[in-house]
Amino acid sequence: MAKLKLALYWAATCGGCEVAVLDLNEKILDVAAAADIYLWPVAMDYKYKDAEAWHDKFIDVCLFNGAIRNSEGEHLAKLLRAKSKVMVAFGSCACFGGIPGLANVADREGVFARVYGETPSTDNSDGTRPQTSFTVPEGELTLPYFYDTVKTLGQTVPVDYFLPGCPPVTKQIWAVVQAIVAGQLPPPGSFVGVAEKSVCEECPRVKEEKKVTAFVRPHQVIPQPEKCLLEQGLICCGPATRGGCGAQCVNANMPCRGCYGPTERVTDQGAKMLSAIASIIDATDEAGVKKVVDQIVDPLGTFYRFGLPNSLLTRVRV
Amino acid sequence: MRRVTIDPITRLEGHGKIEIFLDEAGEVANAYFQVPELRGFERFCEGRPVEELPRITPRICGV
Repeated sequence: MAKLKLALYWAATCGGCEVAVLDLNEKILDVAAAADIYLWPVAMDYKYKDAEAWHDKFIDVCLFNGAIRNSEGEHLAKLLRAKSKVMVAFGSCACFGGIPGLANVADREGVFARVYGETPSTDNSDGTRPQTSFTVPEGELTLPYFYDTVKTLGQTVPVDYFLPGCPPVTKQIWAVVQAIVAGQLPPPGSFVGVAEKSVCEECPRVKEEKKVTAFVRPHQVIPQPEKCLLEQGLICCGPATRGGCGAQCVNANMPCRGCYGPTERVTDQGAKMLSAIASIIDATDEAGVKKVVDQIVDPLGTFYRFGLPNSLLTRVRV
Repeated sequence: MRRVTIDPITRLEGHGKIEIFLDEAGEVANAYFQVPELRGFERFCEGRPVEELPRITPRICGV
């Protein structure tokens, strides 16, 4: 059998997905035996012009991580979509917008004003900002255009498979790699490397359906190790989040923040969290509900931590 | 003026581009390093609870 042609790319991302791939450790040698890698900026030296020279569908599988933040990310998404038979949204940024998607609380000008103007460590009294075109004595320099709104990969190009996680856990990556090599991928459009049900199904903590009279912040309590964190008043996004991670955060005594995205039947992860929270609040009147709900300090940044661009809201109006 | 573009810079975390300009003798006249990426952590960390930042800022660089 001919070796698979693989491409790995990153748009607006942190590189944690690349490290998750490298965390295959010696199994990376099995990947190398089954596939040739044609693009992987973090690890190998190929240039964009190499990718532009490939014929369409030259690549068998592209693992694309990162959100689409600027015109370069969009260009590479479209280029690699055209050059790849199978496009995989790899990691939560590509699938849902991820942490970079939190920038949808602001627009281009709002981000620039903070980054290039207001931060205490910035000295930029002449107000220099990135320009898409800038003329230096030797010629013209160009930069990508920074968009107002972060998009997911699937909002930019057609995506065949979604492999979420921040980052995806290594054993799930390995299972998906094996399925790719064996040609045993599920129907296009599927999520892969995930569990069918929520993080709660993987969580070993005891749930007693108790009511919550107050929410607390993680630094205010030492959580009991065997009891459901949400029932202890700690906001945990497990009920609204797809499993597959093995409930790693809750096993480390930290509440889930939703990186695997909404479960199969849920459209909006934050709305599902609101529903889960509404069902456990112990209050008899509106004022009582408000008192409890007001203890949730950052609903947007908590319920949409990894998925604001993918949500029904997509962004904050500014 | 001849120009050599290195795009992208590889084998590092992040995005980078280098433009090298050569003079008529083929010597480097000037070179520019550019970072064609920004995510805006400085902006979207604002408004987040401080105890959540250890779960957000590791995504500045995951390498």
